[in-house]
Amino acid sequence: MKRLGSFLLYLSLTIVAIFQIFPIVWLFLFSLKDNREIFSGDPFALPSEFRWENYTKVWEGGIGIYFWNSVWITVLAILFTVLFASMATFAITRMKWKLSKLVLGLCMVGMMIPIHSSIIPLFKMFLSVNLIDSPWSIVITYTAYNLPITIMILLGFYYTLPREIEEAAIIDGCSVPQMFFRIILPMTIPVMSTTVIINMIYNWNEFVFVNTFISSDHFKTLTVGIQNFIGQYMTDWGAIGATLVISVLPILLAFIFFSNKVVEGLSSSAVKG
Amino acid sequence: MKQKKAITLLFTLFLSILVIAGCSNSDKEKASSSGESGNEKTIKFMHLWPEGSSKTHYTIVEEIISNFENDNPGVNVEVEVLSNEQYKDKIKVLSTSNELPDVGMTWAAGYLTPYVDGKKFTPLDDILQSDLKDSFVPGTAEAYAIDGKTYGLPLELNIATIFYNKAIFDEYGLEAPKTYDEFKNVIKTLTDNGVAPIALGNKDRWTGSLWYMYLADRIGGADVLTSAINRTGSFEDLALVSAAKEVQNLVDMNAFVKGFNGLADEEAKSMFMNGQAAMYLIGSWDLPNYTTNEDVPKEFRDSIGFFNFPTVDGKGELTSHVGGPGVGLFVSEDSDVKEEAKKFVSYFVKAWGEKSVTQAGVIPATKLEADSLELPQMYIDVLNELSNATNITLFADVQMSPEVAEVHLTQIQALFGKEATPEDFAKKHEEALSAQ
Amino acid sequence: MLSVLFYLPDMGLNDMDKVMSNKWIIALYVLPALLLIGIFIFIPLVLSGYYGFMDWDGIGAMTFIGLENYTAALQDAKFWDSAWHSFLLAIFSTLSLLIYLAIALILASKIKGSDLLRKIYLIPMLLSSVAIAQLWIKIYNPTSGMLNQILLKIGVENPPAWLAETSIVLYAIFIPILWQYAGFYILIYYAALKNIPDSIIEAARIDGASPVQIAFRIKLPLIMGIVKVTIVLAVVGSLKYFDLIYVMTGGGPNGASEVMASYMYKLAFDTNNFGYGSAIGFLLLIITLVVTYIVRKLTATKEEIQY
Repeated sequence: MKRLGSFLLYLSLTIVAIFQIFPIVWLFLFSLKDNREIFSGDPFALPSEFRWENYTKVWEGGIGIYFWNSVWITVLAILFTVLFASMATFAITRMKWKLSKLVLGLCMVGMMIPIHSSIIPLFKMFLSVNLIDSPWSIVITYTAYNLPITIMILLGFYYTLPREIEEAAIIDGCSVPQMFFRIILPMTIPVMSTTVIINMIYNWNEFVFVNTFISSDHFKTLTVGIQNFIGQYMTDWGAIGATLVISVLPILLAFIFFSNKVVEGLSSSAVKG
Repeated sequence: MKQKKAITLLFTLFLSILVIAGCSNSDKEKASSSGESGNEKTIKFMHLWPEGSSKTHYTIVEEIISNFENDNPGVNVEVEVLSNEQYKDKIKVLSTSNELPDVGMTWAAGYLTPYVDGKKFTPLDDILQSDLKDSFVPGTAEAYAIDGKTYGLPLELNIATIFYNKAIFDEYGLEAPKTYDEFKNVIKTLTDNGVAPIALGNKDRWTGSLWYMYLADRIGGADVLTSAINRTGSFEDLALVSAAKEVQNLVDMNAFVKGFNGLADEEAKSMFMNGQAAMYLIGSWDLPNYTTNEDVPKEFRDSIGFFNFPTVDGKGELTSHVGGPGVGLFVSEDSDVKEEAKKFVSYFVKAWGEKSVTQAGVIPATKLEADSLELPQMYIDVLNELSNATNITLFADVQMSPEVAEVHLTQIQALFGKEATPEDFAKKHEEALSAQ
Repeated sequence: MLSVLFYLPDMGLNDMDKVMSNKWIIALYVLPALLLIGIFIFIPLVLSGYYGFMDWDGIGAMTFIGLENYTAALQDAKFWDSAWHSFLLAIFSTLSLLIYLAIALILASKIKGSDLLRKIYLIPMLLSSVAIAQLWIKIYNPTSGMLNQILLKIGVENPPAWLAETSIVLYAIFIPILWQYAGFYILIYYAALKNIPDSIIEAARIDGASPVQIAFRIKLPLIMGIVKVTIVLAVVGSLKYFDLIYVMTGGGPNGASEVMASYMYKLAFDTNNFGYGSAIGFLLLIITLVVTYIVRKLTATKEEIQY
């Protein structure tokens, strides 16, 4: 009975796993086809001929600089977001002050604005401080727009941290910053890794802000590289597939790394105390 | 305490980065922004032909720009390329802040009107009357005219025709129909044999509009739709209602591929190009796929022909078409380098004409000496159709203001999906048009 | 660590309060985030509310028309249709949290291969919406799509054209959304579950609790705070959802899959109605606020009120 149960459990888990892994397989096959094959028939059929030229085409399209921009903009925005969000969440959940609820409420409202209503005001604001066509407008926007959701995710974890830790730390003579950086932050590595993954995916795949704020080619990011293959009347889907494969690889590696941190963090954290 | 310093440091660092970014950028901004800096003048130009998807267009644009820069020392052209949809969105955002490029691309009539009302585009009549006198095919530049002034110069001219797969037609002993009865017979034969007759991607909606427009033209004559839109006529005109009815008849006959209301034009096109549907109504911009495009198997290209939309019950003219100019160039009213920009536009239009058809397979809006050019037969046929055309009705959604166009397109989907009766369809149009 | 508490003098506790309510430190910690959110989210928000009072096509001059856009929106059947669709999506997304939670519970229990499975399960969330939309458009293709091919094989005659029929298109779009967000929520739940100290679970196991009992009696209550957060995230995210719907159907056919954000986008960017579009965007925000408030009230528990 128990055997059967675990067999069924694994069977269903495997089926779900196949569902979840197939987009990567599909994307890879997609990237080696041409439009005719992509639109006809089975998405999982092997391409009649492996069109590696899709990749060369993409590479010659100057994807290198886009790639580098994507990397540094994503990384910098994540650093700012996770640091500022952790600090704010710490102050909201652990420190005692009257307005903490209000600040939290503001953060929540910040999640609710649809980006298409903020894009025109934001453009005007950046224009007035000469930040249009500067990558900094992108870094700032990513940081600001990811802060609310990051704070929300951190929040639940910070509430569960035992009070005793702070008390002990203060009795030991720690200052608040010492406590935050030395004790609290290391304890939250699992959830920080979670938010890093989420931020990373958002920043890496975003294109509305980049398209609107950036006009110089040397500041554009990978998602804009996709635009290069969308034509007025015709779109080169094979090349888009190749761009997507190239852009998903680094994020897949980074994801596996941080995904391990989600678990690892636990063993080194102070929760055991 | 170290950590406290660390945060303060980090925070100041962040702020100073912002400040530096702002400053350094403003310096650069001055140098690169449109207008004069020293003796150099820079024209900002935005277009929608990215290198990846429209290599030939892109290359011609680059050639023209470098020739222009050589011929005009001291003038630089700075290019930004976006894909169609992103281009439209970005132009909107830029216009809210008065930041339009010096030269950019626009569409005719309905799209253009708000920009002209808002005084964003400058009239180009002076170059049209001098440099470019008599260079355009009649009726094309006029589509960019509002109150007697022309605000855009077209680069393309297209008509929509029905492309068909001769191999499929031959298999069932069919011929290109001349009348609507013959056309219905073709559809019936194909459906009886389990072949999807017409590829239609009506998610994009303007595709369905083409069918409605042609039926309106054939049933009610060349002017009926245009006059309904410009309010000298009405959408409740009997001819327009029966055109709408005829659309639903076609739907009932299963003339269109399954699920057409959820398919993009691109998906429909690929069905046609994979031999999964026998006919496809589309603009002549698609000609390269059936002639010169090496990515499409030669066997397929050779099996494609086209015919004009048939006459309905003896009514209508085969020489009356749906189509019109596509994108055109505008010059921004607030440009600091207006004279140079106009010069560039004029230079561009002249250089574009012949190159565009021979290298990129675009039919330009400027007059061509077709006989002197080496072109595939199908191009010559389409160019002949164009020169013999008695009428070209501009695409309905281009004629209309953006708001009415949205109603029209939604109603097209509802009509094809049979969620709206022909009468509702007419009424919704009337409401939208009279609300303006 | 607890032992320290027993020796804690009263003075110590007061010290603690003093340290933890130091205004300067609080300001230093909150201000970076607050300033960024305030400047780059709230100013645009106020501005877009202000545009809502204008008759403005985004090109020419603005004219102040008071509440006209807002009253028009309240009488706009299309707006309420789209709001209803967004609301359905919110309910659907909230319900799918149960599935995500169940998967996360299984993955976090120490079954063999859970580490690999977890990574696989999160893969779809790495892809951009462009890719996901293309994949599902192909799956849903009425003639050559995988779904209908399978249905035909198992003997379903005339399977539906999923994205073309007004009665099913909305539900057909929910599936890829469910699938796209699986990774996001499983990741959060997983991290929360891993945050539970092993000792607690070990103690329960020694007391003879079954894995199911441990899951429901111990793990779930311990991560309830995070579950509530995810409910809010799901509701807020759904009400302003845009991506896949816009690419897969453009809100059609005939408005059957239009949601608030896609309607707003159409008004502002396709029909040059920036004033009206901004008003819709602002109403979207207000609706989201009200719904979130209700959700928070419904899920509030005593302990939370304590905070």
